[in-house]
Amino acid sequence: MPIEIPKDKWTGSIRAVTIGATSAEGGTRTKTVTVGGQTTMPYLQYEAMPSGDEAPNKPVIAIEIKSRKPEDWSPLLADVWGEAMADPAQWAKKAEEAGADLLVLALTVEDTPEDAVRIVKSVLSATGLPLIVWGPGQAEKDNELLVPVSEATNGEKIVLGICEDKNYRTIVATAMANGHLVQARAPMDVNLSKQLNILVSDMGIPKDRILMDPTTGALGYGIEYGYSVMERLRLAALQGDAMTQLPMIVTPGFEAWKTKEAKVGEGVPEAWGDWKARAINWETLTAMSLVESGADIVVLRHPESVKRVKDAIEELVTV
Amino acid sequence: MALSGIQIYKMLPQTNCKECGFPTCLAFAMKLAAKQVELGVCPYVSEESKKQLAESSAPPIRLVTLKAGSEIKAGNEVCMFRHEKTFYNKPGLFIRVKASDPDLAAKVAKAEAYKVNYVGMDFSIDGFAVEADGDLTAAVKAVRDVTKRPLILIANDVTHLDSSLSLLAGESALIYAADAQRSDYEPLADLAKKHKAALVVRADSLDALAELTQKVQAKGVEDIVLDPAAATLGASLTRHTQLRKLALKNVRSLGYPIIAFPCDAKDEGIAAAQAIAKYAGFVVLSEFKPELLYPLLVLRENIYTDPQKPIQVQPGIYEINSPKPESPVLVTTNFSITYFAVANEVEGSGLPAWLVVTDAEGMSVLTAWAAGKFDAERIAKAIKGFNVADKISRKRIVLPGHVAVLSGEVEEELPGWEIRVGPREAVDLPAFMKQVLN
Amino acid sequence: MQHTISFTHNDKQVSVEIPTGALLSDAAHLAGIDIGQPCGGQGRCGRCAVQVTEGNVRRRSTLRLSPDDVEQGYALACQTVIEGNVSIYIPPQEKIERRLTTDRVVAEVTVPEGYEYLQDQTVRRIHLELTPPSMDDQTDDWSRLQTAFRQQHKMEHPFGSAQGGVTCSVSLLREMGEVLREGDWNVTATIETSRRADEQTSRLIQLQPNHIDEYSPLWGTAIDIGTTTVSVWLVDLVSGQVRAQVAEYNGQIARGEDVISRIMYASKNGGGEELRQRVLDTINELIKTACKRVNAKPEEVVKATIAGNSTMIHLLLGIPASNIRLSPFITAVGHPPLMTAREVGLKTHPEASVDCLPGVASYVGADITAGVLSSGLDTAEDVTLFLDVGTNGETVLGNRDWLVTCACSAGPAFEGAGVVNGMRATQGAIEEVWINSETFEPTYRVIGGVKPKGICGSGLISLLSEAFITGIIDKAGNVNLMAISPRVRDGAHGGEYVVAWGAESESGEDIVISRVDVDNLLRAKAAIYAGFTVLADTVGIPLDSVSKVLIGGSFGKYINVEKAVQIGLLPDMDWPRFEFLGNTAVKGAYYALLDWRKRKQITEIAKRMTYIELSADNSFYDAFTSALFLPHTDMSKFPSVAEALSRSN
Repeated sequence: MPIEIPKDKWTGSIRAVTIGATSAEGGTRTKTVTVGGQTTMPYLQYEAMPSGDEAPNKPVIAIEIKSRKPEDWSPLLADVWGEAMADPAQWAKKAEEAGADLLVLALTVEDTPEDAVRIVKSVLSATGLPLIVWGPGQAEKDNELLVPVSEATNGEKIVLGICEDKNYRTIVATAMANGHLVQARAPMDVNLSKQLNILVSDMGIPKDRILMDPTTGALGYGIEYGYSVMERLRLAALQGDAMTQLPMIVTPGFEAWKTKEAKVGEGVPEAWGDWKARAINWETLTAMSLVESGADIVVLRHPESVKRVKDAIEELVTV
Repeated sequence: MALSGIQIYKMLPQTNCKECGFPTCLAFAMKLAAKQVELGVCPYVSEESKKQLAESSAPPIRLVTLKAGSEIKAGNEVCMFRHEKTFYNKPGLFIRVKASDPDLAAKVAKAEAYKVNYVGMDFSIDGFAVEADGDLTAAVKAVRDVTKRPLILIANDVTHLDSSLSLLAGESALIYAADAQRSDYEPLADLAKKHKAALVVRADSLDALAELTQKVQAKGVEDIVLDPAAATLGASLTRHTQLRKLALKNVRSLGYPIIAFPCDAKDEGIAAAQAIAKYAGFVVLSEFKPELLYPLLVLRENIYTDPQKPIQVQPGIYEINSPKPESPVLVTTNFSITYFAVANEVEGSGLPAWLVVTDAEGMSVLTAWAAGKFDAERIAKAIKGFNVADKISRKRIVLPGHVAVLSGEVEEELPGWEIRVGPREAVDLPAFMKQVLN
Repeated sequence: MQHTISFTHNDKQVSVEIPTGALLSDAAHLAGIDIGQPCGGQGRCGRCAVQVTEGNVRRRSTLRLSPDDVEQGYALACQTVIEGNVSIYIPPQEKIERRLTTDRVVAEVTVPEGYEYLQDQTVRRIHLELTPPSMDDQTDDWSRLQTAFRQQHKMEHPFGSAQGGVTCSVSLLREMGEVLREGDWNVTATIETSRRADEQTSRLIQLQPNHIDEYSPLWGTAIDIGTTTVSVWLVDLVSGQVRAQVAEYNGQIARGEDVISRIMYASKNGGGEELRQRVLDTINELIKTACKRVNAKPEEVVKATIAGNSTMIHLLLGIPASNIRLSPFITAVGHPPLMTAREVGLKTHPEASVDCLPGVASYVGADITAGVLSSGLDTAEDVTLFLDVGTNGETVLGNRDWLVTCACSAGPAFEGAGVVNGMRATQGAIEEVWINSETFEPTYRVIGGVKPKGICGSGLISLLSEAFITGIIDKAGNVNLMAISPRVRDGAHGGEYVVAWGAESESGEDIVISRVDVDNLLRAKAAIYAGFTVLADTVGIPLDSVSKVLIGGSFGKYINVEKAVQIGLLPDMDWPRFEFLGNTAVKGAYYALLDWRKRKQITEIAKRMTYIELSADNSFYDAFTSALFLPHTDMSKFPSVAEALSRSN
């Protein structure tokens, strides 16, 4: 007796969002990245409606680089990026070579608005990849840096981050005025994510210009919260909730490399095993768990993790 | 189909007699619906209701227990996504060893001795899978000399399996496997029955899997484990998901735990992580590698944490950014989100600090305060119990802003200490430490 | 083209000429008639409804009017275009307000139908004529009195003993001899008969010389001790009428706004005694005020029935309450025995009977069992929801077959406490606000029609809703400082909105609502909404299937259900399903005070109710966070609000 495979009949789908603009589209990127478009829970393509035959966009990998050489990154990362870490443009090129689909450029508190504009422009001219630009993470400073960056890159369709519930109006307003996108981050809670999406879209920015960042923890440091929040957001989206039908961006690289397990090689228990292999596992497993719970963009730091995650994504879409 | 509290209530006597230990029949019904109490506690329930309720509460996935000196359980799961309820039985992590390996005993001994600590819990591996590429009986004997953990026997030679299983009398081992591509399921099923072992049924389509499972069931084998033989990450995700969904729809021929073999995958770590998150009950790894085993054990703990009861952090004194004796001492509770919020903020700021985590039974600062689990007495006990004074040069602690009201009492409990009230939210901690604490 | 519009207003007639296309409200203005337009002529409030008695008009919008209203010629003056000669009748404002489908006014209290003092009341007054003593009859005074009870009123001792059927206290014995002689052996006794189990016992409460008119008032009081507000009703037990209703903030507020803080305070040195004294002071003061209104004396009050949450009852009786707070959350007593005023500390007649009603659990007390009684929930056929919009946000769901209940900490915001310019619903409180969505100018109504002093609960609901609908605050409650109005400004507690300028207010200070106030209100409404949604979910009852929503609370005389839905306090369902019952706890206590059968019914209710602990899992937290938004994170649950928002944009 043949088994009848049960299928969930979803009514909603994830909005397709495109980052970056080519010269034909008013920007200078040599390629653009489109994420979203899913009509099922992650990689369960057998559930897609026959009409939705078209395969959804695959998740993509962003590599995180910084406007200034980070002093607190793990030696393992410093080893692999070397001198390039002191020069954002060069770092960007190396990241492209390492397989990045797009870049995250994180500005720092030391940057002046002029620095920020100059560095963003140098990265844009160093590679043709689409770009995400993060402020240093302090409301006032973010607004001070992101507004001139946004204006100086009018039409590039970069992603400006990070909007939070206490500071979203300025970033959303400048993104709207200059044709960019925004990254909306809420702290690991389905409702807070959705609320922020509502607040941001209430300002009038089109929904295909918003990436939702549900925040996640690293493996061992609260990954299960992020994991379940993402599953729930995706379920809500498929059930037709327009305010959660946005592609998700998460930062497993940032989270994993904060942990002692990845960051440090000395003074840790022997039972943790080889440092480098463990560190890469930490980042890779964190990233893949999130990819399988619905992430569309994972921001990573180590080239080896990038390669492993990239290969795994290819394997995931092969049934 | 699970019944709601009100539906169950309608089958109860509705006399509110309290003999079950609950104040009303409805309270009892709701506990029944949540599967937190047995129906037998009610002395007056009718036979008719008993029958109906038993049917609605049969587990959709059979619980399979592998047992030797220790035991590992799989099955009894009730949901697709952990947030819906929780995942109950953590998948067993097994290390594959080969009968032909001359270093077999030494390798097993090394893996056997493995122990790693994560937030106060000790983890180890769950068992070994012995592959019969040589003399299985001799290998099982050698393995049993160094470990008492449950075994999976990967073999199809019935004679060897029989003698090996005889060595494991009194245990519940797992036989791998009755394969839909072969026709030897009958002797394997007989063997499983004879030795009270569980039997893996392997097939690369769900139809074939269900068909063979039914045959094995018909032979009287009760403990069955499914191997859907998926070759890629995409295939395993799809088939494991389909199996779980079918089982939850009470398709009895597929209502069994799943075994996965990341040891054969292209990227073992990624495949094992997927198996852990996506419905496997037993996971077989290629060899003992602590740098992979540790993250997998942690992932398993995380995914199988009851989302209704968030994890607690081990109370103690935690070092953040290599604190020195003069660094500040911050106090918080052992609710993991609270702990991570505080630890992350401070860590992110680069400022060194000592973080004292008190035992507040896993509650956040405000909840614990309201429930009397985070008061002056407990704080003082933690400060004294963890010998904080020995590590520092300045006797000063920072209380969370939400419990500013406790500062007076803490002062009384801890004479000679300076008590400071910090901000209410963790995100304001770095600024507070920079501006106020210097 | 000019048309003639004739108005009938206050029995006067006025006519004006106005061109085609003008609004009825313009015509009225031209005629010098002031039609109230609280919403600024946006067709939102329905207050400018007039009746077209002759001629044709074009109604742009009939929002707020029923088809029946339109049939009768009603039209909104601000939304109706003149297209010919018409005659208009302008009804008095009260009449319009009564027509509005959105407002729920709390029903007047009436004596329960069929109340029979002699049948239902446990306390009564009886006349006794004693045979004076003599040298031949040297029976003692007390025995003599007992004999009179037995012979004249057939009051037998429960065990058939020769001692007679009435007990009394030693202090009454002390004054008995004098009273008997002062009345020349004619006396009036006030006795209480209690029926617990099958026994019937009588207790002498007071003995007065001479015969007092049987139908003159016999005073009792129904009391609700809320965490925030204490309410006292003074009742004539003979007629059953409520003769005075008074309320005041609980004097314990100074020692903490919620029950947890009070319990903590009580457990510290002497804190319990202080809190006991504070609430006694509040109650005694209220009894005094109530008595003054009817020219009675507090000592004439002979019976008190008290409702209140478990913590309040414990603190009143001076019973340690700390186990209420600590897991597994156990009260010292759920159903206190009958007591006397002397024991409790009430300044009524010292022998007055004090009856504290029974509760269900630590966080669902006698205020809720009394509330269920007065709401009739326990006898309802269909599934009914009862919400107590108070500090502890209790909810009861059920019908005559089953009852479940839960509590959640909502805070005192809807009672006007914990809000900068909040106040109780008394004279001077702003009870309704409308804001013009273009100018952001408000119109408000003040209780008693005086200068405003502050804003009460119903005013806060209405203000929050208006600020939200007009975009002064966003869905998360952030004040939109980009809104251009002098009323929107950066205040001491973040963004704020000025409802009344100092020049208009009683104190001369601006009356504002601040970001912190909004947060408090959001938390309160989110807790209540989450409470009842999780409760319904736990027992598997879809909210839609709830046939009636009964609302209790002391936030004002009325609630605008539309506004309460717009802020997401109440579920979005047809308005006729809502009923506003006011303070249900004191009402329940009043019924129990009058009728021993009702009193017994409350005990039954307490036994039948199943308490659900919301903190048992994360679903409450989840529901709470999703409700911490205007109106709710899931807009699909609030279709009518989505519609109102799209209208206002």
